[in-house]
Amino acid sequence: MIMITGGAYQGKLEFAKRQFSLAESDIMDGGSCDISVLRTARCICNYELAVKRLIAEGKDPLGFTDKLECEVVIMNEIGCGIIPLDKSEREWREATGRAGCMIAEKSETVYRVCCGIPKIIKGEKN
Amino acid sequence: MTTLITGGAKCGKSRLAEELLEGFGNKIYIATMQPYGEEAHAAIERHRRIRAGKGFETIEKYTDIDETELPRDCSILLECMANLCANEMFRYDVINDPTERIMRGIMHLQNCSRELVIVTNNVGSDGIIYSPETEKYIEVMGRVNALTADIADNVAECVYGVPVVLKGKLCC
Repeated sequence: MIMITGGAYQGKLEFAKRQFSLAESDIMDGGSCDISVLRTARCICNYELAVKRLIAEGKDPLGFTDKLECEVVIMNEIGCGIIPLDKSEREWREATGRAGCMIAEKSETVYRVCCGIPKIIKGEKN
Repeated sequence: MTTLITGGAKCGKSRLAEELLEGFGNKIYIATMQPYGEEAHAAIERHRRIRAGKGFETIEKYTDIDETELPRDCSILLECMANLCANEMFRYDVINDPTERIMRGIMHLQNCSRELVIVTNNVGSDGIIYSPETEKYIEVMGRVNALTADIADNVAECVYGVPVVLKGKLCC
């Protein structure tokens, strides 16, 4: 598995398409696509939004994350602000953090994209 | 040479940017922050104090960077992209996408200068979903930063004063 993270609008998806020759049909959007097809998609983007939807549907996002079989998972870093006042926002943020750690753990390579520049933060630097 | 410095709030970006221009002559500081409100005045004062004695001529330019009149072969510090972006986006009644105008401005600065340092800001890593206007701003900032990084020789992210090089190298 390959993980690509970074802040919002940093160029993560563009990098993924370029680096892994992904076609549009390979990419499932965690914010909108059918949850049932996510697990085996070649690439998921906005995985943090899939976590949010799983919570809303009463499913266990970490159990779901554990069974992911994707080649590339793209998810925003979302934990760098103040703890949200809203309980469900806090739950989402925490679950996303934990899910992100699981994905990074499973991934042989983790990229962090900033200003469009990908940096390998885990795995072989070639 | 063009260098882009990014990072979170108050993480030493300006100090690093000023260090990068040490030893260069004909230094111009392009200030993009509009002096509205007490906090802006305090921030501007603080930056002026830090810059004092470092030989910068200050030009206040809040929008239309591409129209800045500059001497040839100067060295420029533009601070900062976050303010410039907000000033450009929200200058009319209707929100506009200023990406092209800003990039034209950056290229103008590149053409006029021997050395250019641009300070920007990392926004969009807090997971908060804002109003559509603010979300658009975060999107534009992301795009402008990526486009600028692409035409820059060096890019660094500042972490509590520690520069982490993302592209090229830092000469300081």
